Amino acid sequence: MELKKLIVDLSSLMSIGGFERFEREKLIALIGEHFDECYLDKVGNQIFVKKCGKENAHKIMLDAHMDEIGMYVTEILDGGFLRVTNIGGIDTGILQASDVIIYGNEERLFGVIASTPPHLASGDGKELPKIDELLIDTCLTKEELESKIRIGTPVGFAPKYTEMLNGRIMGKSFDDKACAACAVYATVTTPCEELAGDVYVMLSCCEEVTDMVAPGAYALNPDYAMSIDVNLGRVPGTKKEETVELGKGPSITISAVTDRKLTNMLIDAAKDKEIPYQISVSPTHTGTNAVSIQLAREGIPTVDVGLPLASMHTYNEIITIEDTKTLSDLISAFITDKRIAEEYGKGGIEI
Amino acid sequence: MYNTLKQITLVHGVSGHEHRVANTLKEMIAPYCDESYIDALGNLIAVKRGYSENPKKVLLCGHMDEIGFIVNFVEDSGFIRVAPIGGINWVACAFGEVVSENGVHGVLVPNSGTKASDFAPDLMYIDIGADNKKSAERRVKIGDTFVLKSNLTKLNASRVVGRPLDDRAGCGIVLEIAKRVAAEPVADDIYYVFSVQEEVGCRGSKTAAFAIEPDVSLTFDVTGTGDTAGSKPMAVKLGGGAAIKIKDMSVICDSEIVDRLARLSKEKGIKSQLEILAYGGTDTSSIQMTGSGCRAGAISIPSRYIHSGVEMIDMNDYRACINLAFEFIKE
Amino acid sequence: MRLQGRELLEYLCQKFGPTGFENEVADAIIEQLEDNCDRIVKDTFGNVYALIKGESSDRVMISSHMDEVGFMITDIDSDGYIKFSNLGGIDPKVLYGKQVILGNEKTRINGVIAAKAIHHKRREDRFSVTPIKEMYIDIGAKDEDEVKEYVNIGDFGVFNSDFVFFGTDNKYAKGKAIDDRAGCCAMIEIIRRIRENNITLPFDTYFCFTVREEVGLSGARVAAEKVKPSRAIILESTAIGDIAGAPDHKRVADVGSGGVISIMDRSTIYNADFVNFTLNTAKENYIKAQVKRYVSGGNDAGHIHKSGKGVKCVAISMGTRYLHSPACVASMDDYESIRELVFAMLKNMKAEV
Repeated sequence: MELKKLIVDLSSLMSIGGFERFEREKLIALIGEHFDECYLDKVGNQIFVKKCGKENAHKIMLDAHMDEIGMYVTEILDGGFLRVTNIGGIDTGILQASDVIIYGNEERLFGVIASTPPHLASGDGKELPKIDELLIDTCLTKEELESKIRIGTPVGFAPKYTEMLNGRIMGKSFDDKACAACAVYATVTTPCEELAGDVYVMLSCCEEVTDMVAPGAYALNPDYAMSIDVNLGRVPGTKKEETVELGKGPSITISAVTDRKLTNMLIDAAKDKEIPYQISVSPTHTGTNAVSIQLAREGIPTVDVGLPLASMHTYNEIITIEDTKTLSDLISAFITDKRIAEEYGKGGIEI
Repeated sequence: MYNTLKQITLVHGVSGHEHRVANTLKEMIAPYCDESYIDALGNLIAVKRGYSENPKKVLLCGHMDEIGFIVNFVEDSGFIRVAPIGGINWVACAFGEVVSENGVHGVLVPNSGTKASDFAPDLMYIDIGADNKKSAERRVKIGDTFVLKSNLTKLNASRVVGRPLDDRAGCGIVLEIAKRVAAEPVADDIYYVFSVQEEVGCRGSKTAAFAIEPDVSLTFDVTGTGDTAGSKPMAVKLGGGAAIKIKDMSVICDSEIVDRLARLSKEKGIKSQLEILAYGGTDTSSIQMTGSGCRAGAISIPSRYIHSGVEMIDMNDYRACINLAFEFIKE
Repeated sequence: MRLQGRELLEYLCQKFGPTGFENEVADAIIEQLEDNCDRIVKDTFGNVYALIKGESSDRVMISSHMDEVGFMITDIDSDGYIKFSNLGGIDPKVLYGKQVILGNEKTRINGVIAAKAIHHKRREDRFSVTPIKEMYIDIGAKDEDEVKEYVNIGDFGVFNSDFVFFGTDNKYAKGKAIDDRAGCCAMIEIIRRIRENNITLPFDTYFCFTVREEVGLSGARVAAEKVKPSRAIILESTAIGDIAGAPDHKRVADVGSGGVISIMDRSTIYNADFVNFTLNTAKENYIKAQVKRYVSGGNDAGHIHKSGKGVKCVAISMGTRYLHSPACVASMDDYESIRELVFAMLKNMKAEV
């Protein structure tokens, strides 16, 4: 299993919120054989299990969300144009003159998001059109479209992965499938006798819209969990305290709303194994699944880690392969750490 | 069908004060279910067991509560100041006739000289015709709830206007489905949930779903349409059939349920349309996310002028919702 | 390798040729035309001239521009982020988030036009267009020195966009630089057709592939002074607005209805006789053509018609949606209509028009 290839393969899959299972067969073909079990829970979270081989093993949950930002068709217009609505917080500034794929009933259609010709533009040109004002041009007729798609058909950005300097790579949906790939890679490459418990990799759905990981964590009821999501990379015009640096390793979140002791133990593990990391401070919210997992059932100790990423919520998100390797190392350290297993494996406190 | 709906709309039931609606519905559904009870939050839950040995649990939900006003101050003049419960459109309610849960009539009016765009709770009051505080307090006390007066009128053979169709129409549909299921038994256990407190944040359905732990759920609520003058583009039309919800601001419905409903509609010749609502939310989201969650879908009743005194639906859509839902649970 | 039709168009469009840096395109054109013309030369400006001799030494010029809208690097900051300026009119709304290729005589390197993420924008700014001065190009470099190992201030950039055929019968093309490589492509195919069929044209015909159209400081001006034609056909791309919801009077033209013939634009009032000759030729040969229904834009004709003693001009344009973006969309039917129309015009041109 090669990490960079896995990242691109997972990120290329269409998994727009609500359609995470659209390419489930491909996903299973990619990673299924490396796990002991894979199943869907009631709400559609996809869970891949690797057993450690011991009886009454601890349950360790690794969460990365499978869904990506995208659009749904809301209207089919004369001349082969479509109107859409967004799924997740797309940065609408990127949309005009973008390539999209329309995932029709039987086939994939290509389209372009129309830009407004200057003589049709209204206003002072400083305001971005709202997403429901934009048009997708399919160069098909309305009749052809009506036979191929319907309202609610998902529309995604065309995958185009391009390598940059220093092992950086840009393309769509590294948020959060690069992290999903790291969780899978770390789990698969760690020998099962080293695991501190059974590992449940939960590729959760609908993070960009709502926290569907909540029922997932409720049903799974793990002993402890790690939530893995991308973190805002430092670029010109951003504040140091709100960002992390690309190429300096994964971030570990310190927050009032995640488990402080578990976080400290993870930091210790990183130090022991000399894994580079950065601290990211999010005082009252993490903006990730971590809080929902933490609050499931009677409370599940959860730590939040992040992969530095620039240009979030565009289709040219940038990550560094080096960071994904160190993130995998950190995840691996987490699922093999005996001290954490001992501390959190004994179950909740009886009252 | 219309008479049943009318009967349900006439009962007072602001969020948190739904017991009158619950009791009415409990009586109405009794012949069609095996058991029914009202839970801690006030939800009415009725169960009809299926004939299968391993029945699935199917939850059907409509909310009983309606938006309204709660009395928070009585002025010396006898005018009554109120706070909103749920998403009140003050312009739509101004100069409207209101009724309290105890049958006290009055009118909701703005302070003199207030511009329509400024209508807000602090600038509105209810005049119940009392001369002073004392006489007002004989009929109304702090905590009483008011609603815009209920009424339902047939405009023509199929269109109906009035209130509160949000969401007594949903309750009516669930009740009609119960009748159909009683006449033609199905394999699975059907849980009819008439939920409370939807208008203030989908609170009732959350606890009901937690208790039931359904496998599948369908929610019935009103949805907006894109066919009124100046409306935002939206594909749903009044009279266009049952609206199969794909998403709204709070939920993305299970795509397999959406596909199945769309297929059934085609196979059985039931008129339907697909709904993407750019605002709002329903009990679907809370049911989907409670406990370990469930596969959640929703069939919406296209409705114009929601949250006003003149909500309008088409009884053909209403019928289509019932038929489509019945085919779904039969399968 | 000799390419034709769709492959040739894609090949030309994917060349790196922003205004002021057209050599790669020029070399590709010369390579494709070798042995097809009586003479092919490049002038000091970078314009390429391909001559087909005719019966009369009266000269006809056909011109397409080789350059495309692009970027120039204006600054590199110490963290390795690249500031840039646009070459040619590009709506800032189509810049942000797009992949680009930067380069000079030696290097090509991938990058992306970025700005701070939406999460960092103030709520009120989230729906306003990011100005170019707040954007930068990220190539993944660690610092300024690393950037300079590849590119430097004054180097160029273009969009990096896949070339795709799509839509009904796959007859629509999407890509960058269709403006005006489609014109260049048509000229190459016309030259080859003349040669393959041993046709002798009425006049000496100069096919001019020009530079620097997009910034208005046109290579065509120099070309016209050099060629001294009596007539010129300008092949262009024009922005059209035949999109859903656009009012009819602002659609300009319709994709799929043939070459767009201008009566007047902001730089030229076209010669009425020559325009009529063009329209009649289309009609007689059953070739689709349409008249531009809006006064907008301008092209090399603006310089050519005023050159020397004056030149009769006609402009035939590809109606192109989303012009000057990485995703220009045009119809291959229109491409063929234009190619056929120009071929028919050259064959039938008479001294009196």
